[in-house]
Amino acid sequence: MPTLTIDGTEVTVEAGCTVLQACEEAGVEIPRFCYHDRLSIAGNCRMCLVEMEKAPKPIASCAMPVGEGMVIRTDTAAVRKARQGAMEFLLINHPLDCPICDQGGECDLQDQALAFGRDASRYVENKRAVKEKNLGPLIRTMMTRCIHCTRCVRFATEIAGVEELGATYRGEDTEIGTYVEAALTSEMSGNLVDVCPVGALTSRPYAFTARPWELRKTESIDVHDAVGCNIRVDSRGAEVMRVLPRLHEDVNEEWLGDRSRHAVDGLRRQRLDRPYLRVDGKLRPATWDQAFAAIASRMDGLAGERLAAIAGDMVDAETMLAMKDLMTALGSPNIDCRQDGAKLGGRHRGGYLFNTSIAGIEEADAILLVGCNPRWEATLINARIRKRWLAGGLSIGLIGPRVDLTYGYRYLGAGPATLAEVAGGDNDFAGLLQAAEKPMIIVGAGALSRPDGAAVLHLARRIAEATGMNGGDWNGFNVLHGAASRVGGLDLGFLPGEGGRDTAGILAGAGRGEIDLVWLLAADELDMGQFGDAFVVYQGHHGDAGAHRADVILPGAAYTEKDGTWVNTEGRAQQGRRATDPPGEARQDWAILRAFSDVIGQTLPYDNLAALRARMAELAPSFGRLDEVAPGEMGSFGVEGEVDATPFASPLGDYYLANAICRASSVMAECSRLYLAAGEGTGTDG
Amino acid sequence: MKGRQPDPAALAELRDILGEEGLRRDMLLEYLHALQDHHGHLSTRLLAALAQAMRLSQAEVYEVASFYHRFRIVGEAEAAPAGRRVDVCDGLVCQLAGADALAAALAADGGDGRIGRGACMGRCEQAPVAAADDSYIGQADPARIAAGLRGEIVEDRAPEVTFADYREGGGYDLLQQCRNGDHEPDWIIGRLSDSGLRGLGGAGFPTGRKWQLVRAEPAPRLLVVNADESEPGTFKDRYYLERDPHRFIEGMLLAAWTVAADEIYIYLRDEYPHLRRLLQRELVVARQAGIAVPEVHLRRGAGAYVCGEESAMLESIEGKRGLPRQRPPYPSQSGLFGRPTLINNVETLYWVRDAVNDGGDWPGQRSFSVSGRVREPGVKLAPAGISLRRLIDDYCGGMADGHQLAAFLPGGASGGILPAELADQPLDFGSLEDHGGLLGSAAVIVLSDRDDIRAAVANLMRFFADESCGQCTPCRLGTEKAVAMLAAGPADAAALADLAQVMADASICGLGHAAANPLRCALRHFPGAIA
Ligand SMILES: Cc1cc2nc3c(=O)[nH]c(=O)nc-3n(C[C@H](O)[C@H](O)[C@H](O)COP(=O)(O)O)c2cc1C
Ligand code: SF4
Ligand code: SF4
Ligand code: FES
Repeated sequence: MPTLTIDGTEVTVEAGCTVLQACEEAGVEIPRFCYHDRLSIAGNCRMCLVEMEKAPKPIASCAMPVGEGMVIRTDTAAVRKARQGAMEFLLINHPLDCPICDQGGECDLQDQALAFGRDASRYVENKRAVKEKNLGPLIRTMMTRCIHCTRCVRFATEIAGVEELGATYRGEDTEIGTYVEAALTSEMSGNLVDVCPVGALTSRPYAFTARPWELRKTESIDVHDAVGCNIRVDSRGAEVMRVLPRLHEDVNEEWLGDRSRHAVDGLRRQRLDRPYLRVDGKLRPATWDQAFAAIASRMDGLAGERLAAIAGDMVDAETMLAMKDLMTALGSPNIDCRQDGAKLGGRHRGGYLFNTSIAGIEEADAILLVGCNPRWEATLINARIRKRWLAGGLSIGLIGPRVDLTYGYRYLGAGPATLAEVAGGDNDFAGLLQAAEKPMIIVGAGALSRPDGAAVLHLARRIAEATGMNGGDWNGFNVLHGAASRVGGLDLGFLPGEGGRDTAGILAGAGRGEIDLVWLLAADELDMGQFGDAFVVYQGHHGDAGAHRADVILPGAAYTEKDGTWVNTEGRAQQGRRATDPPGEARQDWAILRAFSDVIGQTLPYDNLAALRARMAELAPSFGRLDEVAPGEMGSFGVEGEVDATPFASPLGDYYLANAICRASSVMAECSRLYLAAGEGTGTDG
Repeated sequence: MKGRQPDPAALAELRDILGEEGLRRDMLLEYLHALQDHHGHLSTRLLAALAQAMRLSQAEVYEVASFYHRFRIVGEAEAAPAGRRVDVCDGLVCQLAGADALAAALAADGGDGRIGRGACMGRCEQAPVAAADDSYIGQADPARIAAGLRGEIVEDRAPEVTFADYREGGGYDLLQQCRNGDHEPDWIIGRLSDSGLRGLGGAGFPTGRKWQLVRAEPAPRLLVVNADESEPGTFKDRYYLERDPHRFIEGMLLAAWTVAADEIYIYLRDEYPHLRRLLQRELVVARQAGIAVPEVHLRRGAGAYVCGEESAMLESIEGKRGLPRQRPPYPSQSGLFGRPTLINNVETLYWVRDAVNDGGDWPGQRSFSVSGRVREPGVKLAPAGISLRRLIDDYCGGMADGHQLAAFLPGGASGGILPAELADQPLDFGSLEDHGGLLGSAAVIVLSDRDDIRAAVANLMRFFADESCGQCTPCRLGTEKAVAMLAAGPADAAALADLAQVMADASICGLGHAAANPLRCALRHFPGAIA
């Protein structure tokens, strides 16, 4: 641990860190444009210059490793002059259009010009003209503002793993952009906006809609997948203007996938803003009382086994518990939180969690991916795998559809047969896992939501055991969920009770007339044609598949409109906060269920969120430990049995149209059209 | 879409040109050269095919190709250029010799070729110089250029000192002694240090010490020879390679032996095609005569002065854009492909045999590349510390007729510009700095009372702006800004001085550090000419 002197103060820092980091440690702020702590070092903007004893010229602190006994001065006349000069140069070409720039108020250049620069009036005459670049529907470019820091290029090649962005030509002719006039094919492209230190890359959908200071900022949790990315929801009045990532080292670091960031316009469209009732085959607006009365009357006299409830992929745990309690009160065992039919659940959390944790990926030295496309199903987990892969010494094998994951892997095979080979030790990847110190297996929905899912799960379990994945404090058995609601649902036991029906059973029962009433909690990814004559209650926020089939619609709140808890694929419970109110007459979902329970005389035993949450924590201790991951016990799970020869299929047809919010978003529709309809998927190379 | 889809025909054509072997990432520039040699330009079709064959993104190939000025990329929509291409040197010396008028005359004349300009071509003693595709033409005029286009001007000739001559004079004895175990590497290093030999590429780092540093690093180590010679006014490396290549080759092999480098890379500027052929030939000659030569990779530059900067050169050899690297780590620690790497200039290696043999008695002479307004320009081997006046009078036959000494550049474009009053100062490391000048590669360009200082400074600043890699703020923007300010008429001296200061203090590499030298010198010694 070298000790160095910074502006007269001694600091001791980790070996291998940079002078800039040491300055931060010492509480000295160093201006920077090109430096970004998650990207490789470029050292090109020269704003971070400091003086180092014995060096003839100022040094770039971001690029200089610390050394024992270094003497650094950060505030000498020479340093100030050099920084001021670099700043002045940057302002030469940078248009002084802060008042109309989207970055206004959030711009490093603006801040640093005030702090370190002087006005650039001596050099204003020739502003360079630069051709704008097409970086896709999510990014708007204003390349005259570009300061060539190459953060965007480094982000694209290093983090996103796409090599379409680059610097061409040289000197003042250098241009940053895509080489071919085509959009950047990355599901992480939205992050470019955060990475660009000036307003050269801004959010196209968000362009000019609001200035930062007009926004109310609410910290929340993303629900477009089961990663549990931490987000900040910026709203103005009743409208969500944008969603930004929030730092969480163990989850999403500081990144966010494009679906999570840019589907927000979907929150404004196709909203269910009042109850509806189907009358003479047509959905007609109704009052809450009418809607409740209609359900109550259909329910009246029905035996519990003729009722069922299915929870969708974005539902909060509070709502699921209220639903479960209601169904239990009504004597129905027919509940399921697995719309896709994944064969998961049970007492032992180890059997359905991503046990290594997301950060644990960085320790793995061998990964077997089974029936998943993490790039689409869990973008930030894929980014973490890529990060680990870039560090070197990681073997990756894949069983399932061949997809471009932004890192290299060995393609082992398409389906269960290959999995069985590995389990039986007949595939040399088994040896590789065996030899690895921290091997992991990641099993996705493509492998589990099929009729033989339980047998597949069992095989995966066998691989974990045979290759020594669970030893000491390492449990390399990982399930990759795609649905934000899923682990919360499994933790709460939102699963068929004694003799109850699962999703497939409910659908079949409804089709055969054995189920009379189905309550869909924002569940849209089902074949609605199978409900036969059943009375369908759809409680949710968007007029998507479920609402179209519904006999009664109860308008609920989208994730940005509620205080809710979601448990991510690691088993980490996190609370999202309400940023705006649900539209019109729409209500909080758990409160809808509480109100209805009252109507039918089965009043749920809680009348506020705190009480409901206390009950959640009672049922599943994970809810009482927010933002923590606890090791999941393995116990027994999976069922030994025959596996089908059918290859694993990708559960997600279209990254951009994964759920009702996305499907209502015109931005997502444009992305889908551009990236997928054009025949070349972001995630598939088939 | 990941870019345009390469058509199968383009892939087949690519394979016809490059052969069927697996393609290597570090060979990208060589492949680009091969494609351009074949067609006279690079079509985006073939670039797409190359990207596919190399499993690179098209962006990456394009980033690299567009960095180098000698690559001419022709887009799909553009017509492939017809006819041959003539480039007139726009270096300062050629400009003094009327290159601008020559280019204008050629352009007015039309013809079927295209007229362009190129940075200093390293033949300044023959100014003005032009290139007709790959033939270089000294004392260029329309008639000689026409002859060049007909292939009648050929620079290739046998070296003055052939292998046999060199051997006869005791050449390769030292190398054989080393290899026979008569000397230890440390002895070589000691002798070199005694001789006082310093790097002749411009930075003047003591050669013995450099070899020692590299030797101290863990094997495997590499040797890279800097034959990029692109500093305007510098042509000594070419001169020695043309005349006595084996003296250089022996120095190179001694260096490789001393630091135990198992492979050698020579990065030769693309404007010296005759030397490429010569080196290829002479290496074969040496091998056939029984001199063991480790694997030598002869690599072509592609028109980028910055690639003479050693770390940019390493990037270029690795097949990338020539962006100088951040230091540390230094090339001696982590150089080419991350290996400890010894980098030496051609001329440095050329003198190794004599320096080792003579040790402390080595006379320490300097090879001045003299050009401009002198009667007999050329490479002049003169005592270190000679004054400009004596160099001109005793070695160059005096000033050219009708010209009086007014100013001189002691070290090419990078070394600044000094007034005639300093003509009696010793030309050596350490003696010019006080006046704002640098000896660098000892490229002495002589200006006379008939030359326009402001135009000369503008030429030099244009050169740096063209050659800046564009990586760092002060150099990318400072060079361009200086050009604009000089073009705009009398400039604000204080603003120019600030500009120069920031470039010198805050740039990443030597190009940016030195680029302001002409400006700073001119402000200091010729204020009336600039502001
Ligand atoms: C912009 C720039 C251009 C350079 N060009 C050359 C060159 O053309 N040839 C050369 O040998 N050294 C050149 N150098 C110096 C090299 O960086 C390096 O110091 C030299 O090759 C080391 O060899 P030496 O110690 O034998 O001189 C250049 C340096 C800079 C900053
Ligand atoms: S676009 Fe932004 S991030 Fe990219 S190089 Fe320019 S300033 Fe940097
Ligand atoms: S000083 Fe100039 S040439 Fe050197 S790295 Fe900076 S921009 Fe490139
Ligand atoms: S932050 Fe160090 S050079 Fe840009």
